[in-house]
Amino acid sequence: MSAPVAEETTELDPQKSRPKGNAAQISGKSPLRIAFGRLMRDKVAVVCMVVVVLFVLLAIFEGLLQKAFGVTAETQFPTQFLNLNGVPKAEFGPPYGTFVWSHPFGIAPTTAVDNLAYWLEGARNSLEIATLSTIVATVLGIVVGLLAGFMGGIVDRVLSFFTDFFLTLPFLLVALTIAPIVNERFRDGDHYEAAQVVLLVMVLSFFGWMGLARLIRGEVLSLREREFVHAARVMGMPTRRILVKELLPNIVAPIVVSTSLMLPAFVAAESGLAYLGVGIRTRPSWGQMLDDATGFFKEYPLYLYEPLLAIVVLVLALNLLGDAVRDALDPKTRR
Amino acid sequence: MYAYILKRLISGAVVLLLVSFSVFALFWYGPSEPARAMCDTKTSNRCTPERLAVFTEELGYDNNIFAEYGRYVGGIFVGRDITISSVTVQCDAPCFGLSYSTGKPVWNDMKKRLPATVSVAVGGAFLYLLIGVPMGVAAARRRGSLADKALVSSFLVISSIPYYLFALLAYLYVAVYWQVPWLGEPGYTPITQNPVAWFGGLALAWLCLGVFGCTQYTRYSRGSMVEALSEDYIRTAKAKGLPTRTVVYKHALRAALVPIVTIFGIDFGTLLAGTIFTEKIFDINGIGLWTLTAIRAMDLPIVSATAIFSASVLILSNLAVDIVYSALDPRVRLS
Repeated sequence: MSAPVAEETTELDPQKSRPKGNAAQISGKSPLRIAFGRLMRDKVAVVCMVVVVLFVLLAIFEGLLQKAFGVTAETQFPTQFLNLNGVPKAEFGPPYGTFVWSHPFGIAPTTAVDNLAYWLEGARNSLEIATLSTIVATVLGIVVGLLAGFMGGIVDRVLSFFTDFFLTLPFLLVALTIAPIVNERFRDGDHYEAAQVVLLVMVLSFFGWMGLARLIRGEVLSLREREFVHAARVMGMPTRRILVKELLPNIVAPIVVSTSLMLPAFVAAESGLAYLGVGIRTRPSWGQMLDDATGFFKEYPLYLYEPLLAIVVLVLALNLLGDAVRDALDPKTRR
Repeated sequence: MYAYILKRLISGAVVLLLVSFSVFALFWYGPSEPARAMCDTKTSNRCTPERLAVFTEELGYDNNIFAEYGRYVGGIFVGRDITISSVTVQCDAPCFGLSYSTGKPVWNDMKKRLPATVSVAVGGAFLYLLIGVPMGVAAARRRGSLADKALVSSFLVISSIPYYLFALLAYLYVAVYWQVPWLGEPGYTPITQNPVAWFGGLALAWLCLGVFGCTQYTRYSRGSMVEALSEDYIRTAKAKGLPTRTVVYKHALRAALVPIVTIFGIDFGTLLAGTIFTEKIFDINGIGLWTLTAIRAMDLPIVSATAIFSASVLILSNLAVDIVYSALDPRVRLS
């Protein structure tokens, strides 16, 4: 890391960074700008960012990509594509045949659905659900943490009790308990698909906010005794404004860090639940693909590796990126 | 001390009551027809509205929910008789109701599956410590060396991958692809029947849990060992001329182990409460796999029984951790 250091010293060199009479050259940088600069100098973080952006683009443009490759997730008469053991015939690609352009990822055993189309839709669902859950959990965590920390007294007691209560509930078991009920209730309705997604997001986010809420409560407890908050209060600033304008900007760092670590956890949880058969069932999911592929692993390992590698790479990239964000935001770390 | 334990037990009981009532209410109000699963089994999927009404009445779904919940809790403590389709089944304490699919008391089946889950949990937790702590100690002693850095970063990568993918790959290669002779036949055989088969069937599951879970223990024990090794009393011990082995294992490790106990207690509780992924992947017929099948069959009494079971295990393990912690660390006073 020799180049960045040199860059920094030239920046700090008063002779160079402050040419005579030209004050416009000095720019104030917000802490977030500085952190972003540090992040961009971290090679691992940049690679992870590229990977994540690639997945996001694949997910956003999955419809277009499906058209570009001429594949769809719908198949009529699956038996015409399959051998008697349920594995695709050689002319439709792996495992018996070689690569064919009409089905770049091959086709699925039993259902003969095109793997690429299914995989792309799985990517979109996975990212969509993880992003929505992250947003809901973050908002919930911020609101509960701010209120508990700032209001104190009975509000704090009640909110802290709920935070602890949710922490004692085993996530997987609650998700498993709720799933059959949703299925029973909405199975025959018109909104089955939407209901499944909304409930999954709710279950995921209701079990993801506690850590953030605790973190923010702690930060706010120490911040609210600081002079600038007292000053704002003396000036007669309404509580809502103090919370949003004075406190919130000071706790951006922990929020960003915990949000960036929530995302991979939700991606993993979504596909894990789908693998157990209790996630979304009406839409494609990488987890379901894994479950389907387990039985065909001996004949058709590629079918398993497509979703598996996708989950591993995406979760790993998001996790490492989250760690890098934490390091970048913490002025104490030197890498 | 005793007053503290009593207080914790009471608050644990309150949380348990809350959890069990939530589960009960969820099954009461959640499904549109809670008795439907029972009706479908008894009439072999020819459930008419009239039959459904009869079952709804027999299962008590038309009564007041609080009265029914009272009967349920009473049944857990003293047992009760349940009559369905004019057949009375004696359900001894602890009675969690009758399974909708088999018509037998839930506890009887649970008793049979408990040893499998306990075996998985005990073996896995044992390996957590057996692999994790020595590695952490070794890394702490060689802090900053290449081996230490390689260990820390490779464990960071392993712990970023979702556990079930790790276990699934291990299962597929060892048991399906290579068919390793003795390891490659996962499943549960009671230890009283055939200890060798018991060990062989569970070894792979233990290894997966151990290798994956030990990363956390390595990290924690490395951290607390590094801290302990820099204490004054370690320098004193070294200055006295004690052998390095005694200094590291007797003086430093003893202090470093205290925080490990806390995490271990909670992890062990979580394992006992449900090793759902492990049991599904390695086909071990324990509580977790049983819950999954019950969910597919909408067998509500089983699901609520397992939810209550795992919540109580978690609460008790938290309490045990706090008590053991105060015994190990004289600075902690329970109050």
